[in-house]
Amino acid sequence: MKRLLLIALSTLLLSLSLSVQAVSSTQDSIKNSVEDSKGTFSIDYVPKRIVVLELSFVDALAAVGVSPVGIADDKDPERILKEIRNEIGEWTSVGTRSQPSLETISALKPDLIIADISRHEGVYADLQKIAPTLILPSRRANYEENLHATAIIGKAIGKDKEMQARLKLHAQRMADFAKQLPEGKEVQFGVARDDALFLHTADSYAGGVIRALGLKNANTGRSDDAYRQTSLEQFLAVNPDYFIVGNYVTPSIVDKWKNEPLWSVLKAAKNHHIYSVNPNTWSRCRGIISAETMGQDLIKVFKANK
Amino acid sequence: MISIRLPFVGQCLALLLLLFICSWISLFSWSVITITPMDALHALYDMNAESIAQHIVHDLRLPRVLVGIMVGANLAAAGVIMQGLTQNPLASPSVLGINAGAALGMATVSSIAPWFGLLGTSVAAIIGGGIAWAFVMLLGSAWRGGNEHGRLVLAGVAISALCAALTKAVIIIAEDQAAGVLTWLAGSLADARWQTFDSFWPVCLIGLLGAMLIAPTLNLLQLGDDNARNLGVSLMWVKLGGSFLVLLLVGSAISSVGAIGFVGLLVPHMARMLAGQDHRKFLPIAMMLGACLVVLSDTVSRAIIYPAETPAGAILALIGAPFFIYLVRKRTL
Amino acid sequence: MATRSLPILLLALLGLLVANLMFGAVSIPFKSIFEGFQVGNANYFTVHEYRFPRAILAMLVGAMMALAGALVQGVIRNPLASPDVLGVSHGAGLAAVFYMTFFPDADIRWLPAVALIGSLIAALTLWWLCGSHSSTIKLAITGVALAALYASCIDFLMLVKPLEINNALLWLTGSLWGRGWNQLSMLLPWLLLIPFALWLAKPLNLIHLGDDSAISLGIKANKLRLASLAIAVGLTASCVAICGPIGFLGLVAPHLTRKLVGGRHQILLPSTMLVGAILLLLADLVARTIDPPIELPAGIMTAIIGAPYFLWLLLRTK
Repeated sequence: MKRLLLIALSTLLLSLSLSVQAVSSTQDSIKNSVEDSKGTFSIDYVPKRIVVLELSFVDALAAVGVSPVGIADDKDPERILKEIRNEIGEWTSVGTRSQPSLETISALKPDLIIADISRHEGVYADLQKIAPTLILPSRRANYEENLHATAIIGKAIGKDKEMQARLKLHAQRMADFAKQLPEGKEVQFGVARDDALFLHTADSYAGGVIRALGLKNANTGRSDDAYRQTSLEQFLAVNPDYFIVGNYVTPSIVDKWKNEPLWSVLKAAKNHHIYSVNPNTWSRCRGIISAETMGQDLIKVFKANK
Repeated sequence: MISIRLPFVGQCLALLLLLFICSWISLFSWSVITITPMDALHALYDMNAESIAQHIVHDLRLPRVLVGIMVGANLAAAGVIMQGLTQNPLASPSVLGINAGAALGMATVSSIAPWFGLLGTSVAAIIGGGIAWAFVMLLGSAWRGGNEHGRLVLAGVAISALCAALTKAVIIIAEDQAAGVLTWLAGSLADARWQTFDSFWPVCLIGLLGAMLIAPTLNLLQLGDDNARNLGVSLMWVKLGGSFLVLLLVGSAISSVGAIGFVGLLVPHMARMLAGQDHRKFLPIAMMLGACLVVLSDTVSRAIIYPAETPAGAILALIGAPFFIYLVRKRTL
Repeated sequence: MATRSLPILLLALLGLLVANLMFGAVSIPFKSIFEGFQVGNANYFTVHEYRFPRAILAMLVGAMMALAGALVQGVIRNPLASPDVLGVSHGAGLAAVFYMTFFPDADIRWLPAVALIGSLIAALTLWWLCGSHSSTIKLAITGVALAALYASCIDFLMLVKPLEINNALLWLTGSLWGRGWNQLSMLLPWLLLIPFALWLAKPLNLIHLGDDSAISLGIKANKLRLASLAIAVGLTASCVAICGPIGFLGLVAPHLTRKLVGGRHQILLPSTMLVGAILLLLADLVARTIDPPIELPAGIMTAIIGAPYFLWLLLRTK
């Protein structure tokens, strides 16, 4: 009971803080105080050495031309988009996103850490001992939450104006993309591994971007999960008009399925509406730059079959 | 326990009927695209090429059910042979570490050297399982008779624990593969197709025939090693042959659908309750029971978080583990 | 023999402690370590806030797990027995995975408490199934069977809710990542169990002569068993709650120690704590430095160190 009360209270607080944030960010104020997932975060200087622990935050920094000194990139720089890599230049890897090395972070002497509430809540206290820590949703966040987090980051790094302008530009670009795209077409994105296909449902980041571009998500049945492992039989039931696949490995399971007679029953297969894209853009990066790249990908897709 | 009074042939027929009904239900139930029970039958003998439902039955569900039947029969037969060879009621592929060894081999290859492809992982699974089983057999002959049944099981569990720790290490290092490997570790029939069936059935047939051939010898082993030797059984050859059969049966099943556990533990005991101690009789009964069990859990696995699927092996483990506890409590070890 | 081993063990422990403070993703020279304890120093976080509490925690957890293992092996006269075998660790794991899958947004700091409850329930279930009259082998096998049950439930949960797999896996392998002063303070009350365990040393020696002779010497064998197992469960539960199940440690450390100092529990119990501490410090050091900045869970390293030894033990056991 007590626990229920606690949860209710915290949800109330959270929603309150979010609405307050929405109001204050439109006021374009200069004081660097924002609401993150743990309450009020204040900073009275412009951070110069930033360490980020999720890829979506890299995207947000790159959007306003700020380079982080350290990134939890799973020791694989390829996971960050080429456009973004070119923008931010060199960085130090601080290990995996799920278990970043606190020692390496500390050795970088950061003055701001941006962490993910879903992955790093357990070490939030330790991170704060190293440097002021902004903790925001990333891993389970959808498109709207992500835009919100991006705005908060802009404010915290003293680039509120630039970020607001960038977000406006982003909205503009997305609207432009939407105009070039046919309205209401059904598009489904999935990542394919060696032995499994995971569909990104309407609740996922990719699902949100697809909606923002004026397209439609395919109906994937139960929607309590952002990513759903799907067998060929279930995929036949989803049967999207357009299928966008990101292959983590080649040949992936989708390549295997393509040789099966049932694959040709799919609407997307019949009309040759299956396209493969960079899974890092579509699945791992989750930021405004990658959203714009996704938009361009989709335009290419729809231009290709005109 | 009406079935106990049935004669052997009657039991076989009853089980065959049960197996047919289970398979039929599995062909049409819990599908996102509506499949009628009649669709399922039509797809078998008079296929309508226009109907997606019948296509699904023919291309996805039918091989899935057939592979399920073979996997169940294989694992049950392997369990019977293992229990016969070690004279240990708890012997089975999952308890004695074969599954964990195979999983380690498979996880290692698929994470560290993914370019080996499917063939590589199957071979790695069989090699891993073989090494684990070799260890267990060596230890098994070191601890003969009397009160040492428990030790053998503890040894198997220890080997499983070792393999599991290493498997987890491999999975954590190759973070991306985690979800896929876990599904495989539990064992799922979702990706069983005609190709799987085609490469599986010859091995399966040889293994099951071999199991039937070794059944009379297993009867003699029940009398104890010394008596068996006096009756002209060459213990070493029986053990080598039996081990080879076990590896063939388990390896082919595991490389087709993943490390499904507990069938080999559960089913021989059920079969013994039905058909008594004669291996020639309870081995075929065990095969059919195993087939029913796997097909049934595959059906249930589609229902639990419908329309998504859980691996059938996870369901079997949930049924099998309490039974393991029951066996431990019942038997004097 | 014991008198010679103890100073060496202490020296090794001290050396490893210093090595743990010096090496990691960033190396710190020996001289700078002491400066690192002063507030405001450049290495203050790395040394005082991170490596030092983590090393102390590794020592305590290693010592407690080894002690628990020695107690269990002292009671269940089976060289292969250890708290992991009794299913206590898996019970804790199940509780933790349950918590992580169904309350993904809840505070992760409650995890230890949840794990503690799980391991206690597991221990009580084992007790309820076996009572006090079970044969030692039967107790071990029942523990193993229960562990299998918990493991299958864990697998099932992780497969039904796939998003949390990596979090759960990290915890389930046993890791010291991100553990610090907070966890250390949570562990402190449980240190009280250690004197009780040491106090049991003498009666444990007598029970090794066989139940009959122990009874004739005025020791109630069953009560002693109950007390030792209860303490072992408490020790394991508290460690698992904080670091996850670190496998093979409770099994291997007592064996190694027995080789070094012999089987007298008055010497065996304190020495095994030293050995356990050394093993876990070593495992964590290797896990942190093998491929920086990526950290492997220490539980994997203990498995890799412990497993070959354990297999050798298996082959040797008559």
